[in-house]
Amino acid sequence: MGITIIQIGVLYTLYVVGSFIQQLLHIPIPGSMIGMLFLFLLLMSGIVKEEWISRGANMLLSHLTLLFIPATVGVMDYVELFSGKGIWSIFVVIVSTMIVMLFVGFIGQWAQTREQKRVREVKGA
Amino acid sequence: MIGASMLLWTIVVYMAMRKLYARFYFPLLVPIATSTVVIIITLSLFHLSYEQYMDGGKWLVHLLGPAVVALALPLYQHRHTLKQFLWPLLCSTFFGTIIGMGSGLLLARLFHLPEQVVRSIIPKSVTSPVAMDIAALIGGIPTLAAVYVMVAGIFGAMFGPTIFQRLRLTTALGIGSGLGAASHGIGTAKALEMGKKEAAISSVAMTLSAIFASLLCPLLLLL
Repeated sequence: MGITIIQIGVLYTLYVVGSFIQQLLHIPIPGSMIGMLFLFLLLMSGIVKEEWISRGANMLLSHLTLLFIPATVGVMDYVELFSGKGIWSIFVVIVSTMIVMLFVGFIGQWAQTREQKRVREVKGA
Repeated sequence: MIGASMLLWTIVVYMAMRKLYARFYFPLLVPIATSTVVIIITLSLFHLSYEQYMDGGKWLVHLLGPAVVALALPLYQHRHTLKQFLWPLLCSTFFGTIIGMGSGLLLARLFHLPEQVVRSIIPKSVTSPVAMDIAALIGGIPTLAAVYVMVAGIFGAMFGPTIFQRLRLTTALGIGSGLGAASHGIGTAKALEMGKKEAAISSVAMTLSAIFASLLCPLLLLL
């Protein structure tokens, strides 16, 4: 448990560093994502070993849904959107979300099956 | 005191809703949706405001930053897959971002929604901090934008997997990129339930969408 907490502390530090870089350079990308890219580079270059953060990372990731709940509860201040005319805006969001999900999803699927076919052909030849 | 009990209550509700979902595995029961509803109901029963709730809720929000950083781990573990599919991912999320913002804009105009609402809907597919920044830049309302981001996220987590299954969209790359591009972090949390590979791809799709959306939003100002 202690190790997990220390590792979460390391991840938190990287998040703070990311936020600092974001404010310093005024990049329109959240600090957490800059921190993620930074950690990814550290892992790739071998400066940080997977085991140093894996326990903490898996702990946070397995409860990622929990961490989003406070943000989703914020919808309570806008309940009027879910009744009357506001419902159309929700409808628009849902339809548009579905379009994006299927468009991106099917391109991904197509790319993967094409690649698998290519690999099979190479092996067959 | 209220803060500590709100934090504890959120964790208890989340654990219970997870159990419920594991028991029935019905899309409408995804923990993110049921937990949100249960908490909102209890808050209104006790006449507590969102502000009072956030006294405790903010501690979980503090962990969201390091959790996003932690996504570097599945990214690293699946680096070979990502390298293999970098181009398809770049193209699909780029056009996915345009389609997401464009279809939101067109549909909202079609329904004659107020201009500020239209501009708050546009960035709904990207992670909330970025979406709120974009909304502020293009003349929307940041908090309203965050609400639409949550709707897009919850919808994707609720129905994404079922829709994929119905349409035979079954590959890790298809599922992961679709969830990440349309439903950002909440979609990625859902992808994690389906597999580490799906999650890695989803976090890449979510990151790319956020980057593309921030780059493309100045163009939207021209509309």
